Amino acid sequence: MATLLRSAVLNPEAHRTVKAAADDASAKPRLFSSLAPRLGSLHNKTIYLVDTGFGGSGKFLDQVQSWFAEHMPSVTTVRRRKTGDSIFRDDTKDLWAEIKDRGQAAILGVAG
Amino acid sequence: MAVATCSRTLEQEYGIPTAPVSTFEFIDFLGDDLRFHGVPLRFVYTPHPVVGMPPSALRGYIEGKDPATQRIVVDEIIEALTKPVREDEFTEDFSSLSRTGVRQPLLESDTEDNLQRLFYQRGWTDGLPIILPTEERVAEMLTATNSVRDEVVAEIFLHDAQEYLRVTVEMVAIVAVMAGARPEHLPVILAVASTGHPSIVGSTTPFACMLLVNGPIRNEIEMNSGMGAFSPRNLANSVIGRAWTLLTIQGGYFRLKKQFWSSQGNPISYNNMCVAENEERSVWEPFHVQKSFRADESVISLFRGWSFVNNVVGSSTRSVGEDTCVLLGALPGLFSSATLILDPLVARHLKENDGFQTKLDFGRWISQNYKVPAGQFWGTDLIHMLMAPVAEQGVEPYASWKKLPPETLIAPYDKPENINVVVVGGETSPMWKVADFSYVASASVDKWRARPAADGCIDGSCGLPDPE
Repeated sequence: MATLLRSAVLNPEAHRTVKAAADDASAKPRLFSSLAPRLGSLHNKTIYLVDTGFGGSGKFLDQVQSWFAEHMPSVTTVRRRKTGDSIFRDDTKDLWAEIKDRGQAAILGVAG
Repeated sequence: MAVATCSRTLEQEYGIPTAPVSTFEFIDFLGDDLRFHGVPLRFVYTPHPVVGMPPSALRGYIEGKDPATQRIVVDEIIEALTKPVREDEFTEDFSSLSRTGVRQPLLESDTEDNLQRLFYQRGWTDGLPIILPTEERVAEMLTATNSVRDEVVAEIFLHDAQEYLRVTVEMVAIVAVMAGARPEHLPVILAVASTGHPSIVGSTTPFACMLLVNGPIRNEIEMNSGMGAFSPRNLANSVIGRAWTLLTIQGGYFRLKKQFWSSQGNPISYNNMCVAENEERSVWEPFHVQKSFRADESVISLFRGWSFVNNVVGSSTRSVGEDTCVLLGALPGLFSSATLILDPLVARHLKENDGFQTKLDFGRWISQNYKVPAGQFWGTDLIHMLMAPVAEQGVEPYASWKKLPPETLIAPYDKPENINVVVVGGETSPMWKVADFSYVASASVDKWRARPAADGCIDGSCGLPDPE
């Protein structure tokens, strides 16, 4: 018959302590912050199709570009790859400024 | 995740409406991202995977249904850009982020078998039985360091929770007991913990790590750097390497589809190729001295990559350098990173017969003589993902390589200092391993020690039980 272990066993999880990434109020979760205004229609608009560099994402957005050319020819699409050193974080400045200057919307992908 | 982060930036800083797209596999991860940031990005999901799919299949994804909503993907993309988001589209509880809670420091009394089962079911183990961390065992473990039990050894950032995990000396001691370590192993494990680097990376790829120990402590705790050093035989090599992964698990890096994403995993993670360098039999400077530590310091060094390839019968037809280039052909050459693990016989041959006076000399030769066609290099997905952005920024030589005809040969290991050379083995045959591991970090063990170093063994083959 199994007997109880005599010694007390420590709970590993009790010795995990965490702190929030930042303590200032601005870094805490926002409850429902707003997005940019939507366009209403894509007619005659310029849309940037930006791939992050993950495998296959460029080819996927190439197909999105073809779809717009065939089905919504009034939409101008610009295919770009995310700029910056890393595909894992947002270190892009120039491309975002270009989109702000020359475009009205962006499709980003593909995560995965 | 970059798609979510970049979309938030465009939406909130540049006022650009976005339609972020992900495969369905990552819906839970993006849910966590939404809960933390509170930004209601209108993600559109495609079937999984996208990588490797032909154009016709990708077109089918676009014109087919979003697995999450059963609506047409391209319709959702257009709607994301043209129609305002409604608050009732999102049901996540944005206020329930806190993961902290009061937990009992001691587990309820139970049998050994039931407690082993509990540890396994809670996801606290690597799948193998552990040594239960009783108060007595943890207290004894702590005698091996002068550090106090609540000293913070490292802070580790957990991306999914957006929190820092504080790793304390006591937490490391608990893990060390669980791994089967003896108190004398604790300073090495504390040094590993102090780097803050996990042995498992939040990636769908099969990352793997290597843990190298240099200096006097190798022999004091009877690590094996000689015969069969990577084999499952030596206690210190086995339990120290295992402790790194158990520590990583305790750090939260093995929560499925939170931090852990590896599709196939990697068996190296069981003990992370934990080994000591055979300094006694090496003809070259020890690795830690190359990293500016004193020879009499005890130091751990960490490496990370995915794969290694063995030379299995030595090299008599080609030179060691030429055969190393053949082996490198199986690896991507990412940012010039490689780690060569040479038996002392190979190192001696390279120095005495081929004239490589230092490890770096051999690295320079590899750098100059290993070549691949530019098209083959850039055609590797990993290179395309991680190095193409650098080339696009105009960084040389990558920018120039990107413009070359595909058949033009390039020498991708352009930084000889990124080719790490380590000497390990028992000299039963002149063999070696070639890995795509890059150097990550080193840390001093001595800071964590309660006892001075002792004299060691002569040939590196310490601590091997030999019943015969």
